[in-house]
Amino acid sequence: MASDKLQIKKLYALSSEDKKFSFAIPLKHSIRIGRRDYEVKLKSDEKFGTYILWKNRKYPVEIVRSSQNKYEILFNDISYIFTVETPFSLKRMKVLNSTRGKTESEIIKAPMPGKIIDVLVREGSTVLRGEPLVILEAMKMQNEIISPANGTIIKVMARPNTNVMKDDILIEIKL
Amino acid sequence: MTKIKRILIANRGEIAVRIMKTARLMKIETVAVKTAVEPNAMYLSSADVIFDNTEDISEIPVFLNIEKLISIALETSANAIHPGYGFLAENAYFAQKCIDNGLIFIGPSPDAIYKMGNKTIARKIALAGGIPMAMGSEGNISNEEEAVAIAEKIGYPVIIKAASGGGGRGMRIVRKSDEMEKMFIIASKEAEKAFNDPSVFVEKYIENPKHIEFQILGDTKGNIIHLGERECSIQRKHQKLLEEAPSSSLNETLRTKMGDMAVQIAMAVNYHSAGTVEFLLDSDKNFYFMEMNTRIQVEHPVTEIITGIDLIEQQIRIANGEELKYKQSDIKLKGWAIECRINAEDVQSGFAPDPGKIESLFMPTGPCIRVDTGVQTGSSIVASYDSMIAKLIVKGKDRKEAIKNCKMALDKVWIKGTKTTLPFFRMLVRHPKFIDGSFTTSFIEKDLEKFYLNSDYEEMLAAWLATKLFVEENLSDDSINVNFEHGKVMSPWLLNKRINQF
Repeated sequence: MASDKLQIKKLYALSSEDKKFSFAIPLKHSIRIGRRDYEVKLKSDEKFGTYILWKNRKYPVEIVRSSQNKYEILFNDISYIFTVETPFSLKRMKVLNSTRGKTESEIIKAPMPGKIIDVLVREGSTVLRGEPLVILEAMKMQNEIISPANGTIIKVMARPNTNVMKDDILIEIKL
Repeated sequence: MTKIKRILIANRGEIAVRIMKTARLMKIETVAVKTAVEPNAMYLSSADVIFDNTEDISEIPVFLNIEKLISIALETSANAIHPGYGFLAENAYFAQKCIDNGLIFIGPSPDAIYKMGNKTIARKIALAGGIPMAMGSEGNISNEEEAVAIAEKIGYPVIIKAASGGGGRGMRIVRKSDEMEKMFIIASKEAEKAFNDPSVFVEKYIENPKHIEFQILGDTKGNIIHLGERECSIQRKHQKLLEEAPSSSLNETLRTKMGDMAVQIAMAVNYHSAGTVEFLLDSDKNFYFMEMNTRIQVEHPVTEIITGIDLIEQQIRIANGEELKYKQSDIKLKGWAIECRINAEDVQSGFAPDPGKIESLFMPTGPCIRVDTGVQTGSSIVASYDSMIAKLIVKGKDRKEAIKNCKMALDKVWIKGTKTTLPFFRMLVRHPKFIDGSFTTSFIEKDLEKFYLNSDYEEMLAAWLATKLFVEENLSDDSINVNFEHGKVMSPWLLNKRINQF
C-alpha cells in the first residue's frame, strides 16, 4: 500500500458533467491561471462559517456529503459533485464503464419534502416522457413530478395525502 | 372617526417588519403574534406588544384564523389590523369581520376585495368599462367539455384560471384539446385546495407577454391615482423573482394610457387603499387586463424608490380617512429600481424549496441599496411558510446603472445554511436578454439553458477542495509530502459537519 501511495503524483477530480480537473500531488495551496499562481486559502471562523479566500474574495463553502471518493461541495451557493480518482482508479473506471450496460429502470424520488396530493398513474400504466406522474405540494405550491422517460410503471410507492421527505422513492418505471 | 393608535400585524416575516417600520415613524404602536413555528422570529423584535400564541399548535397558521385574530386585536387593544400580503390580505369576509368588531381594516372595502378577488366578476366589471381583455369564458365553467368548446371558439392555447385565484396557483396552460381533461382537474383541485373554491374559467393565453402592473392609490373621498408601473416579467411558474420600476417597454404615451385604464378599473369598484392592476403586454404593445390585487404587494419597494412615496404610510393614512395629498400630476418617476427576491430555493433542482437554518447572513448596505428582510443569522426558514429570505432592492439613475449596482450588491450578499436564488440572479443580471430588456414571462422556461451562474474558476476551486479532502482522508501518510497543518485545523470542523449531515 505504502509503495502505491508513493507513486501518486496526480489526482483527478471528475465532475458530474464529466469535466476533469487535475491536481499535482502533493497538493499546492494555489491555483495557476495563465502564468500566475493564485493562493487559495480555506478558512473557518465564527462570523462567516467556512469559506475559501481567493483573489481577495471570500466564497462560502460547505461539504454537503462525502462517501469514499465522492464529494458534494457547495461553493458559492452552487452544488458540485466530484469523484476524486488516482491515475490507476481512473483507468479502472474507464474499463468498467465501457463494459457496464444501460440501466433498465428509473426511480422517481421526491425532489423536496412535501405532501402527495395526487397520484396520476397506476402500476402497469405506460407513460411518456414529460407526462405528470404525481402531484406534490411543497411550500404552498403544487408541483407536477413528470416522467423522465418513456416506460411502464412497475411500482407506485406514493400514496395520496401522505407526507414525504426529500429523496423518498415515489415511483419506479421500467424503461 | 377614531384614528389608528395600535395596529395588529396579521402577518409575519419581512412584511411584518416593513409595516412596523412605518408605524414607528408615524408613532403608531404595533402588535405582533408569536407562533410556535417561529418563536424567535425577527419580526417579533420590532413590535411594541407581542401576543404569545405559541400554545396554539393547530396545523392552520393563526394568520389564517379570522376569529382568533379578531380576538387577539380586541384583547391587545389594537384598533386596526394590517393584513400584509398573502394569508387573509384578500379575504373580504375578514375585512368585514374587522369592521363589524369596530376595528379599522388597513386595506380596501370588503366589497372591492370581493369583486376583484373573484376573477369572473372582475372580468365582467372590466368588460363593462371597456378595458381591453383577453377573450374567454363569460363566467365560470363547470367541466372540461365546456372548456374545450370555448377553446375551440377562441383558439388554442388557452389558460385555465382559478376564479378566486392569484399568485399563480390554480393556473394551467392548455395547448391542445386532449390535454384539457388533465389540466382542468389539476387546476380545479389546486384552486379548491388553495382558495376553497374549485371554480375556474378559461381565457385566451397570450404568448410571450410582458407582465406590467400599475400601483394604485385611492382614498375614501373618491380620489384615485396611479404611481406608475412595475415590470415583473421575470417569473417562474407565475411566481415573480425579480421586479423593476419603471418598465423599459413603456413610453410616456403608453404609460398614460395604461395608467388611466388602471385608475378606471379601480374607480369601478370605488377602490380605496393601495392596490395593483395587472396587465399583460404583447409584442405589438397591445395590453390586456389580467387582474387587480387588493393588497400591498411583495414588490412595492421598487415603486416607493422611484416615487419617493411610502405606500404603507399611505395605506394607514387612507384607513384613517385622510384625503390623498397627491394629485396625478404630482407623481414623478425618478431613477430606476430593481428588486431581487432572495429565496431559500435550490436553483439547481428546479427552484425546489430548501428550508433550513440561516447559519450566517450579511446583506450589503449603501446609498443605492435597500434590504427588506425578516430573517437574520440564526433564523430558520420553515417549511410551513414561504421561502423568502430577503428582498434586495437596488437603485440607479437609469436602468443601466441599476443593473450595474445590482450586480455588485449581489456579490456582496453572504448567506450560509440554505441554498438560495442568488446564483440565478447573478446569471440574470449578466444575461443579454435581461440587459436589453427584451425578456418576457416565458424567459426562464424558454430562453435559459442554465438557471445559474458559475464560472470555470469557481468550479475549479470546488474541485480543488474535493481533492484536498481526498488527500486528507486517504493519503495521510508521512511518506508523501502532504501539508498536514491544514488537515489538523480542519478535522474537528469536518467531523462536526459529518455528524450533522448523516
